[in-house]
Amino acid sequence: MILRQTKAMLIDAYRELNAKKLFWLTMGLNVFAVLIFASLGINDRGTTLLHWTFDNSILNTKIFSEEFYYKTKFTGLGVRFWLSWVSAILALVSTAGIIPDMVSSGTIEPILSKPLGRTRLFLTKYATGLLFVGLQVLVFTAGCFLVIGIRAGSWEFGMFLAIPIVLAFFSYIYSFCALVGLVTRSTITALLLTCLFWSMLFVVHYGDETMTMFRVSAEIKMEDRAAAVERQEDKAQAKIEVMREEGEPVPGENGEPLPENAKDSLEAVNSRLTNARSNLSDSQNGVASWKAWNARVGMLKSILPKTSETLSLLKKNLVSEDAMTKLLNAQMENQPKYNENEMPAIADPRVGTRMQDAQLQKSAAWILSTSFAFEAFLLGLCIIIFTRRDF
Amino acid sequence: MSAVIDVQGVEKMYRRKVHALRGVDLQVGAGEIFGLLGPNGAGKSTLVKVLMTVISATKCKGTMLGKKIGDKSALTQVGYLPEHHNFPKYLTSQQVLRHFGAMAGVDRKTRNKRADELLEIVNMTNSATDKLGTYSKGMRQRIGIAQALMNDPKLVVLDEPTDGVDPIGRRDIREILLRLKGEGRTVFLNSHLLSELEMVCDRVAIMVHGQMRQQGTIDELTEGRSGFRIRSAAAIDGLAIDASKAAVHGIECAGEPGEHELVFQTSNAQTVQPAIDSLRKHGVVIESLGFHRPSLEDLFIQAVSEEPDGARPGAQQGKKGARS
Repeated sequence: MILRQTKAMLIDAYRELNAKKLFWLTMGLNVFAVLIFASLGINDRGTTLLHWTFDNSILNTKIFSEEFYYKTKFTGLGVRFWLSWVSAILALVSTAGIIPDMVSSGTIEPILSKPLGRTRLFLTKYATGLLFVGLQVLVFTAGCFLVIGIRAGSWEFGMFLAIPIVLAFFSYIYSFCALVGLVTRSTITALLLTCLFWSMLFVVHYGDETMTMFRVSAEIKMEDRAAAVERQEDKAQAKIEVMREEGEPVPGENGEPLPENAKDSLEAVNSRLTNARSNLSDSQNGVASWKAWNARVGMLKSILPKTSETLSLLKKNLVSEDAMTKLLNAQMENQPKYNENEMPAIADPRVGTRMQDAQLQKSAAWILSTSFAFEAFLLGLCIIIFTRRDF
Repeated sequence: MSAVIDVQGVEKMYRRKVHALRGVDLQVGAGEIFGLLGPNGAGKSTLVKVLMTVISATKCKGTMLGKKIGDKSALTQVGYLPEHHNFPKYLTSQQVLRHFGAMAGVDRKTRNKRADELLEIVNMTNSATDKLGTYSKGMRQRIGIAQALMNDPKLVVLDEPTDGVDPIGRRDIREILLRLKGEGRTVFLNSHLLSELEMVCDRVAIMVHGQMRQQGTIDELTEGRSGFRIRSAAAIDGLAIDASKAAVHGIECAGEPGEHELVFQTSNAQTVQPAIDSLRKHGVVIESLGFHRPSLEDLFIQAVSEEPDGARPGAQQGKKGARS
């Protein structure tokens, strides 16, 4: 009986979406996106669109393989842009009404009077929304899989990892949409508040990235300044040794007075050391401040679902680290060149490397478990509300 | 007669403010058509929703089809048509029946066969492939009834089944109800269309302000209230009334000075003759005379006009879910 009821609900969800014309519209758009993907290419001069070639000194087959080009386009344009933005917004618009429509007066009564538990009813309805997204991702991924196979000769089955990853990403947002839809019984409110929630996740993510970037650049600056202090101390020590050998009085030793601004003998003989130590102290304060802010935003982020990191898991699995480093280096060479003193702290190439390392430290298990914990919390709330509510 | 529904002391309080049900006792026997009536806001739909597990009672003891109220497994043998239902407009009537059949756990072969049979029973075969969005209220109501019968239920609960239905449709629905009774099913009707209930119900219950005021067969409920009614052209004075009462000593008489009629609660015409003589002696011009049995409407109006203990009229007004 469980299978029969579940199947009936899935068929009904399909008919509902079909009646809204959204199912086939979004499916058609996905096919269109695959056709655009197929029209992109790479040759020895640069990138191509249909028969046009656009010269590119980095992206050409002399440096990268066609396979690498298509995989990065799939993870970048295909997943991060198309599936996680355009397609996800369409899917949200299509599925936002599933829960509010179900709990509307006159619709819910005949359903609740059937022999199936409310928890199962809610979760099945929730799953139908995800299934709709899953079908879209499947069509897009299968299309891209064929394009890469035919055009680059690489049959990469790992691409199908996009389906669970994009589904996981969408489910974080959809769980919030379901909760709002259940509480307010309004599709438009659910949609608007979900967009707000999504924007908040985006802001928190970029807030965390920015804080991390400033913290890392401040740490690098602090390390550089610590090295400068060390250098100046060595110089001062060497000067003191010479003064001792030559029998000159060393300030601060044997009752010799220290100059007004000097804290010790080293600073007394090397005025640059005072400045270097002062700079180091400023940097240490800066690092402490950025660390505190970074920790606060990081704390907030740790309890929220990690949409960007979840999508990045696909890239981690699909594109090799070496190839990505090669691309980053090539891009770096095209960046504007700075003198060492003029270079802004965040433009330091070490910042990019350390941030990449920081990203790699976040394991897939941590990203997924904390995100699913948030989703489970929202779904738990939904189930408590749905099972206790009088309709 | 075994009870299909047997509940005692059902209470429902909404948000600790609105007392929708105040200790309702209800027994519905197997194979009967039972009518629940009451004014708007009486708590009829709330009681039905408690039985259908759509809302949970604050307090409830009892069983439906031998299972505790709230036990979902009992619903495999129950068909339900809610009031103000809103079945998916994008489905055809055939799809609605098959969908709700599947939700009730009916296997594919049976539900396809049953859907066709039921469409014929409710006279909707010609519109089977049209979408519900194109239907009139009466047509949707017919599909709603058919939907409630998809799982071949032992108990059919219909909340305002004739709502928005034209007279021909009402007659058809009455025939369906009698057919269901003939098939041995129990029908629980919730309606405020008294004439409809009177025509088909074996037993009725009157609910007012969340309390069950009366329950029984129409004969049981009218017992002691029927009798010979004497109507006068002019108002009857107190003297004439007292004299006529004295003439038929021992028989209850309803009627107050200044009213135009008196009712002697007896079915024996012979016993009221002295009262007629007495009235004529006092100059009362008798306009009509005959045996009178109160209608369901009379019982209903009488029940509604009596203020129940602790009930606050209009307590449920404006509360969604407390509608009747």
